[in-house]
Amino acid sequence: MSEITTLLIANRGEIAVRIARTARRLGIGTVGVYSEPDVNALHVDAVDVAVALGGSTPAESYLRGEAIIAAALANGADAIHPGYGFLSENAAFARDVEAAGLVWVGPTPEQIELLGDKVAAKRTAIEAGVPTAPMLEIEGASFSGALPDTMPLPVLVKAAAGGGGRGMRIVRSNDEVAAAVAAASREAESAFGDGTVFIEPYLERGRHVEVQVIGDAHGNVVHLGERECSIQRRNQKIVEESPSAGISDETRNALCSGALALAQRVGYRGAGTIEFLVGTAHDGTDGTINFLEVNTRLQVEHPVTEAVTELDLVELQLLVAAGAPLPITQSDVQFSGHAIEVRVVAEDPAAGWLPSTGTVERFMIGDAESGPGRGDGVRVDTGFRDGAVVSPDYDSLLAKVISHASTRRAAALTLARSMRSSQITGLHTNLDSLAEILVEPDYLAAATPTAYLDEHPHVVAAHGPSGADEVALLVAAVLADEAWARPSGAAFGFAPTGWRNLRTTGQRQVWESARGIARHIEFEVRNGAEQAGRERRAIVDVDVAIGPWPLPGDDGALPDDQRERAAVRILDRDIDGDTMRLAIEVDGRRVRVEAGRVAAPTDEVDVAIGGQLGGQTVHVRSAVGAMSWTLAPRFESHDAGADGGGPICPLPGTVIAVHVAAGDRVADGDVLMVVEAMKMEHKITASSDSLVTEVRFAVGDRVDSGDLLVALDQPGQDGNEGGTA
Amino acid sequence: MTIGTALRSRLDTRSDDYHANVAAMEELWAEVESELAKVPSIGGQRYVDRHRRRGKMLVRERVEALVDPHSPFLELSPLAAWGTQDPIGAGMMCGIGVVEGVEVAITGSDMTYRGGAANPTTWAKGHRFYEIVRENRLPLIVLNESAGADLPRQADLFIRGGQSFRDLTQLSKLGVPSITVAFGPNTAGGAYTPGMSDYTVFVRERGTAYLGGPPLVKMAIDEIVDEETLGGAEMHSATSGLSDYLAEDEMDGLRHVRAIIRHLRWNKLGPGPSEPNDPPLYDPAELIGCAQADVRIPFEMREVYARLLDGSRFEEFKPRYGNKMVCGWGSIHGFPVGMLGNNGILFSEEATKAAQFIQLCNKRDIPLVFCHNITGFMVGSKAEQGGIIRNGAKLINAVSNSTVPHFNLMVGASYGAGNYGMAGKAYNPRFIFSWPNHRIAVMGPKQLAGVMDIVARNAAAGRGIEVDDEMEAQLQEQAAALEGQIETESTALFSTGRLWDDGIIHPADSRTVLGMAISAAHSNVVAGATEYGVWRH
Repeated sequence: MSEITTLLIANRGEIAVRIARTARRLGIGTVGVYSEPDVNALHVDAVDVAVALGGSTPAESYLRGEAIIAAALANGADAIHPGYGFLSENAAFARDVEAAGLVWVGPTPEQIELLGDKVAAKRTAIEAGVPTAPMLEIEGASFSGALPDTMPLPVLVKAAAGGGGRGMRIVRSNDEVAAAVAAASREAESAFGDGTVFIEPYLERGRHVEVQVIGDAHGNVVHLGERECSIQRRNQKIVEESPSAGISDETRNALCSGALALAQRVGYRGAGTIEFLVGTAHDGTDGTINFLEVNTRLQVEHPVTEAVTELDLVELQLLVAAGAPLPITQSDVQFSGHAIEVRVVAEDPAAGWLPSTGTVERFMIGDAESGPGRGDGVRVDTGFRDGAVVSPDYDSLLAKVISHASTRRAAALTLARSMRSSQITGLHTNLDSLAEILVEPDYLAAATPTAYLDEHPHVVAAHGPSGADEVALLVAAVLADEAWARPSGAAFGFAPTGWRNLRTTGQRQVWESARGIARHIEFEVRNGAEQAGRERRAIVDVDVAIGPWPLPGDDGALPDDQRERAAVRILDRDIDGDTMRLAIEVDGRRVRVEAGRVAAPTDEVDVAIGGQLGGQTVHVRSAVGAMSWTLAPRFESHDAGADGGGPICPLPGTVIAVHVAAGDRVADGDVLMVVEAMKMEHKITASSDSLVTEVRFAVGDRVDSGDLLVALDQPGQDGNEGGTA
Repeated sequence: MTIGTALRSRLDTRSDDYHANVAAMEELWAEVESELAKVPSIGGQRYVDRHRRRGKMLVRERVEALVDPHSPFLELSPLAAWGTQDPIGAGMMCGIGVVEGVEVAITGSDMTYRGGAANPTTWAKGHRFYEIVRENRLPLIVLNESAGADLPRQADLFIRGGQSFRDLTQLSKLGVPSITVAFGPNTAGGAYTPGMSDYTVFVRERGTAYLGGPPLVKMAIDEIVDEETLGGAEMHSATSGLSDYLAEDEMDGLRHVRAIIRHLRWNKLGPGPSEPNDPPLYDPAELIGCAQADVRIPFEMREVYARLLDGSRFEEFKPRYGNKMVCGWGSIHGFPVGMLGNNGILFSEEATKAAQFIQLCNKRDIPLVFCHNITGFMVGSKAEQGGIIRNGAKLINAVSNSTVPHFNLMVGASYGAGNYGMAGKAYNPRFIFSWPNHRIAVMGPKQLAGVMDIVARNAAAGRGIEVDDEMEAQLQEQAAALEGQIETESTALFSTGRLWDDGIIHPADSRTVLGMAISAAHSNVVAGATEYGVWRH
């Protein structure tokens, strides 16, 4: 028994923050580590002291076992918690940690080695009597290509060292088996340095269910129930819950007892997860159970287990790692209610879940009413905050949000509300899809096979609020911008918004949503009476028309105005710096909205867009959803075009397309380049017929406002044109 | 510490009288509003459509596209020329607004009315506007396109018309910047509008300027030339140098204006607001019911103040002396003001009290707001023997030589020498705004007709003519006709049509309008007088 007084957390992001939280509660000192890009990350602020590992890729930083052990020793740490990923399932590292006289918070190196090999693990599981489909071990090149009778088609060829779907092949006919084995082996060899593969039955339809176990060094093991993690994309989980609502109690008992038996057989120490695939029979009942693998670490989704058992898994991990006996027996483990976790990830679901990178401008998770993560019954585990950078070097998990309620439905709806109110800007996230899944009828009915996302494309394509909700959020953004744009000291700032003694039109603006939808809005404060000056609390009536305003036809006459009208009342606007809380009523429906802006729309943005009036983005979130709106500039810049130099960049952004090359002749209006800025695509066009002399940026290049993008030579600007030789 | 204490309103807003009065006031306002609605398309739909067909914005659309988002815009003299042969609004737009956070004066011609050609009221309205620009030191933006003078009416225009160019260059001398955008033709004398401006912007393929157009050039020197070569935007930008900025289109021209205003780094010279600008305790919307639609019915001026002043706070000066002149201190949108308003006619006490109050405000550099509801000075032997002329002279001396900005709010009648004593038009206030119930004349129509009747009867008597039935009927008819004529000639619309004020406003907008006017006046130095004429003690 060796008491832990100081713990080194060999990880980053939300899990490092989460481990530090328990350590702090237990009075255990914390030492963190960080790579160069993480120098000011949230996880570094969560620990007492942190040690620089340098570098930016994992290999240069969080995978440097030697440096981490040295940091632990130099800073008086007596234990190392590896979190998940990185070195957490690296037996050699575990061995080095123990050799250095430190406590390794995890299973023994031997257990990691044994269970990390899928073939060995499955063999052990079968020996322990764990319910599972059979396995066909392939001995090197000796495989004949023939499947035994015990292995009906279809089958799955898997790599022993695999994970994340790599080295995996589905085989549906006998003559494909040999080739699939060879291919999977080659892929495994190159990916993991181990070409060992095995074959097991492929379950066409099923659920991913896993059992949490924890054991101590004295042979005691308990299971903490199961989790269902069937909703996955690219073999990665995004929604997890406990208990599984889709399996029978019989299956549940079989899985839990099997997991316990396997853990007991190896004398498992620490927290671990035994993963299963539970097949679904044609009649919808549970079919074949197949053992998948054992994860010898804390799982990402452990909070749902913590919620339903009211246990702190990290606390238990630290206890058993230090050699103490488990403080609980199986009968102490009680389950209450239902917990659901969603993983908020920087990715674009509609674009095939393409990972998204960039700087997080605004990071607001949870209820707009009571602040992030508070007051709405959800737990938020995150390693991010405003201004943090999501880089391709690390996991794109932004946050885990966990709800816990007495029923599954209540937990799902609570979490859905939290997702709707959440807002993360600066990059793409799966927030809208998560919000949609949690209220989707099949999900609420627990009809969640692993193919759920493939079978429900509309949740993948979810894009946030629409209809009256979208209108309310647009109006809120416009009115928030108005209040910010006219501070009390502004010239004539006391007058009602847009006041006129002779009115011709209202105030006209065009706002674009982050998904590229432009909305024209015209609004007019109705004030036969002065609206009590700039009193934000006074009720102000606003007439709103949405849709393009009438423009003169060929004959110069304006067509009839057939726009949608809305009667809006501003009930309250409470400004707190760059955050504003609004209560507005749109056609008799009251909505509370929190608005935020990243930068004051005065100087910074103004300079960025060269006085074109616009470009500022207002982020709005409420119980009906969250959106970001950007005001389209009132003016275009013609400066560079007029000078004959070519178009200049309107906003800082990234070049996403180049349509011309030097030497091309272009006509007035031709698109030369597309710049993505502020989440919108800006077409850069030629302002006159001209010759491209130089394309100054390539796709992917960062461009700043004011940069000359494409050098153009305009006929007539050249003094020699038409001259004689 | 704030100025004064909150006024307590005694207005019964639930009484039948109140509602009847509000209804009558709203009827008066409705007439004004319907006249205002005619102004933007006064040139006729055909010409508005033709203008738009050419891809051009109407002058007020240009203003909307120019001014800062959400900012207010106060159009001045929008009903100039009402009741005359000239179009309502006089074919030009004048106003005060905000561009790049700067309080500016903006004017523009309405090309849809006779090609933007100037008529006699255009000249008068422009003259008044330049006065406002100069006195209040407001950067000036001219959105110009004009065919020049309305030639058939040259006799009423030509001689005085040149003054606008003199005004422009004198503004420049005073350091008040002027920016002209040429959206269309700037012909003949009109070419001097860009010519005399500090900055000029010409819109490509639209803006032109020449002293003589192609027809005149052909007539005069037999040169055949196209418009662009003669005075086009590109020619003036690249060759003549008349254009400082070449704009790609109308919007681009407005963008250039904003860029120019930005580089001015303009600073107002006045001290600006210094008091809390909390709204009045009583709703300014009730102002419409504070004054009487029938100016013969008296009303309490403090009810107006209670809805005009910040927090309804008012520190009354000499409340027990000369109580028909309600003087005191307060603030409007944070700007300290001295208020003078009438609760009846002027006696010697009222005149001397007001004169003293005006001197105090000048010593303290506090602008003055005159709320007119005045039928005149007291007459009669008692008043004369009490020195009403001598004491009235003190008031005229004070208002004539006071140098703090004066603002007139016409909330009721403004008759006779009372108008002078309250710093009326002839006393050069910075701004005058009227409520729709306003009446202005040398005296009330009934009194005037009555006076004329007595004069006629005395003349008859002097000539020994006896008034028989026939003559009696004739005299009565004459008096009624005269009363009707004066009635018509003393309305707010008649007054605003003749530029006796800077516009009729909805009473509920008074705080906004006065706030903008006072704020604009603070663009210039706010300094009180140190010298007056000889006081007749």
